[in-house]
Amino acid sequence: MSELAFPPAPNVAGTSLDGTKIFTISLEENAALCRSTGVEPASDGSAHPIYYYIATQVAMGKTVAGVCETCEFDVEEGPMMGSSGVKFTEQLMVGESYKVTGEILSLVRKQSRKLGLMDVLTYRLRLHRQADGTCILETDNVWVLPRKELAA
Amino acid sequence: MSYAVGDALPPFVVESASPEAMKAWAVFLADPNPIHLDVEVVKAKGLGDRVINQGPMNVAFMMNMLMAAFPGATIEAMDSRFLDNVYGGDKVTAQGAITAVEGNRISCEFTLDVAGRGAVNSGTATLLV
Repeated sequence: MSELAFPPAPNVAGTSLDGTKIFTISLEENAALCRSTGVEPASDGSAHPIYYYIATQVAMGKTVAGVCETCEFDVEEGPMMGSSGVKFTEQLMVGESYKVTGEILSLVRKQSRKLGLMDVLTYRLRLHRQADGTCILETDNVWVLPRKELAA
Repeated sequence: MSYAVGDALPPFVVESASPEAMKAWAVFLADPNPIHLDVEVVKAKGLGDRVINQGPMNVAFMMNMLMAAFPGATIEAMDSRFLDNVYGGDKVTAQGAITAVEGNRISCEFTLDVAGRGAVNSGTATLLV
């Protein structure tokens, strides 16, 4: 059955994900995170670069469940990560505080041979240094939202 | 240190994906999704019989491989694709190769492989060395 047989995905492009929380990378948490992945924390004050994902997810304007709800998708149905990309202009630093801006770029309904009917969600987040507002990274994340209930 | 296209990057190996680390990452990510914490939930959802590693931790393993391969370098950009799950107890290896060298900018491609199951993540990155 083609996608045309199903209702279109909700029109959520442009939904703001600007955050109000301030995310600070603590010395203790960075050390614990590094060790949980099998490495020691850097000695130059830089944080593990995976904080690009953690900081933006934790400090964006909606929770993961909230983003799913915006897309009319129940988080209990199991959203899946499709891809994640990041471009850094500066390193993340321990002790630095950051805030997030961002938006949903698209939600596209597709038929997949492997996963069946699904919505592909793409959203963009930017991490800004709290002290001066400088944007230090931009990340695009793609999530797959299986739409089993529509295909039933 | 000189780098050339085709050079293999030293593998980064995690002998056993740790359920304890998954508990810690649930806090780091402020995301208590039970598929990372409770085997019974994983079974009930038909997703397997072991807890599932958080995707961003898989990305961190690949970043660790890159940072070890290029000491002192910084990651300028990175893209990761999620192909399959890493489960608790899996042996995981991040490995890759250099695809381009332009001045102090190195491009790489890489995978995260699970012993016996193959690639579960793939990616590309550019680093400034």
